[in-house]
Amino acid sequence: MNESLHLETLRLLHFKNYEDASLTCSSQLNAFVGLNGMGKTNLLEAIYYLCMCRSPRAVADRHLPRRGSDFFRLEGLFRRHGRQEAITAKLRPGKKKTFERNGKPYDLLSEHIGLLPVVFIAPEDTQLITGGSEERRRLLDNTLSQLHAEYLQQLITYNKVLDQRNRLLKQFAEQQSFDAGLLDAYDRQLWGPADYLYRERERFLADCNPLPIARACRIPRTQVPFQVRYRSPLQERSMADCLRENRDKDRLLARTTAGIHKDDLDLLLDDSPVKRYASQGQTKSLALGLKLAQYRMLQQGKNTPPILLLDDLFDKLDTERVGSLLALLREQAFGQVFLTDTDEARVLDLLHSMGAAHRTFRIQDGTASPIVMA
Amino acid sequence: MNFSSKLIEQAVEAFAGLPGIGRKTALRLVLHLIQQEEEVSLHFAETIAGMRKGIRYCSTCFNLSDEAQCAICRDPRRDPSAVCVVESIRDVMAIEDTGQYRGVYHVLGGVISPIEGIGPEQLQIDSLVQRVREGVVQEVILAISPTIEGDTTMFYLSRQLQELPVRISTIARGVSFGGELEYADEFTLGRSIVARIPYKLQDE
Repeated sequence: MNESLHLETLRLLHFKNYEDASLTCSSQLNAFVGLNGMGKTNLLEAIYYLCMCRSPRAVADRHLPRRGSDFFRLEGLFRRHGRQEAITAKLRPGKKKTFERNGKPYDLLSEHIGLLPVVFIAPEDTQLITGGSEERRRLLDNTLSQLHAEYLQQLITYNKVLDQRNRLLKQFAEQQSFDAGLLDAYDRQLWGPADYLYRERERFLADCNPLPIARACRIPRTQVPFQVRYRSPLQERSMADCLRENRDKDRLLARTTAGIHKDDLDLLLDDSPVKRYASQGQTKSLALGLKLAQYRMLQQGKNTPPILLLDDLFDKLDTERVGSLLALLREQAFGQVFLTDTDEARVLDLLHSMGAAHRTFRIQDGTASPIVMA
Repeated sequence: MNFSSKLIEQAVEAFAGLPGIGRKTALRLVLHLIQQEEEVSLHFAETIAGMRKGIRYCSTCFNLSDEAQCAICRDPRRDPSAVCVVESIRDVMAIEDTGQYRGVYHVLGGVISPIEGIGPEQLQIDSLVQRVREGVVQEVILAISPTIEGDTTMFYLSRQLQELPVRISTIARGVSFGGELEYADEFTLGRSIVARIPYKLQDE
């Protein structure tokens, strides 16, 4: 029972539509019910923020304080492997956000990532299937960063060097100048991180096949062979060659046109690209399958079930899929779960039927009050 | 802030123009000066004016200096065959404080960062290459911060110097002295393990 992770209490101050709210959570199932726009998802967002130092949706920090306020504070009391971890996130005007673990501020936020593994499943996950390659890279990077601190470091380094290189290429184009030696300096700094990120991604994807996972999870409509194939220019050549071969093109277009930042995952259904052939239902199933694969990989790699955040599941998934997911929650070793729904009666029925410890909160205009069961 | 005096207002503006000083602190400094003897303010003003007029860059190493050549470059006890390349005068002062270095310096004036608009031509790089070309320098020690921009600069410098008969070294990176391993940050500790060095017993 020691290999566990859960949030015990959460406090939000001036976060999104919450002025000051506190809640005490169940270590197993938690449901937030209420009408749309009342602040259910904001609670999931707060939990995610405490784990990942950022919003799950690409929302800038300055948009997170409550309307009319310019700061927010989040406090989460977690229990991890039997020990208490008090995590505080603070954003003040004109200052960088700070995170504290048991009262001690982190020097680098990246040191916090991976301490509290988390998976956020939301209706917009279908973007993983239908959206651009950056959606799939983000899922890869998100998972691997939670698994290995080194991965996040290398990714940050790669992106910073890439920014400098792109700016340099732009300056070359604007000033009609060129300095091969300086460009070499950036190329060389990309080699190491690119090579590392490529190997980690490849190894991860070799281990991670969502098909058996989706099947094991009994997600319907995944009977057709579903494959995830990693595609990177580094499969054929080194990053050094990649940059060398594209140097003229890079100069012409004034940006780095090839490299690990263009990696993608080919999603194939019966050997055809999912994007083109999958039905809406299949798209949803596959997106859910990918996220559950992420959950499984984090669970294995971290030796503890991550915190699972399920946003608006019932509105966007049909009953069949919700049924399989819940069966999964009931049967398998899931950790702490937070879910949101608009229909109070449906959720209460459901939590009852699952027979696990649970708590339900009624969410109304930025207040969360526990529903006490008779 | 409402000032009864134009003179005070001007002085507050001047102080508040300095980094790290807000208008309230500036006012406190101004009022402090008013309470002191007139000489104190005059001496203060003369010191600053004299410093600003007199200060110049050393023609050899580009350290800040009172003379055409700085005190370190002029010191006959220093070894001119070793040149330590640093970003700024603050790094010179830090290394001097260690009392461990007998060579001379070369101050770049920053590191390469296209995002900040700093390219090699904004830095004292050509002058370093020129200095090495003159033949006295045997070793160039790169003492530049281990950041991405620092790494770029070091790589660029080593490229510029590679044709010249000079040894290039960098300062060691790793776990700090007196620090316990468990408190070293993961990244530094990881690199220290990868870049480990042979253990040598001290010579008798």
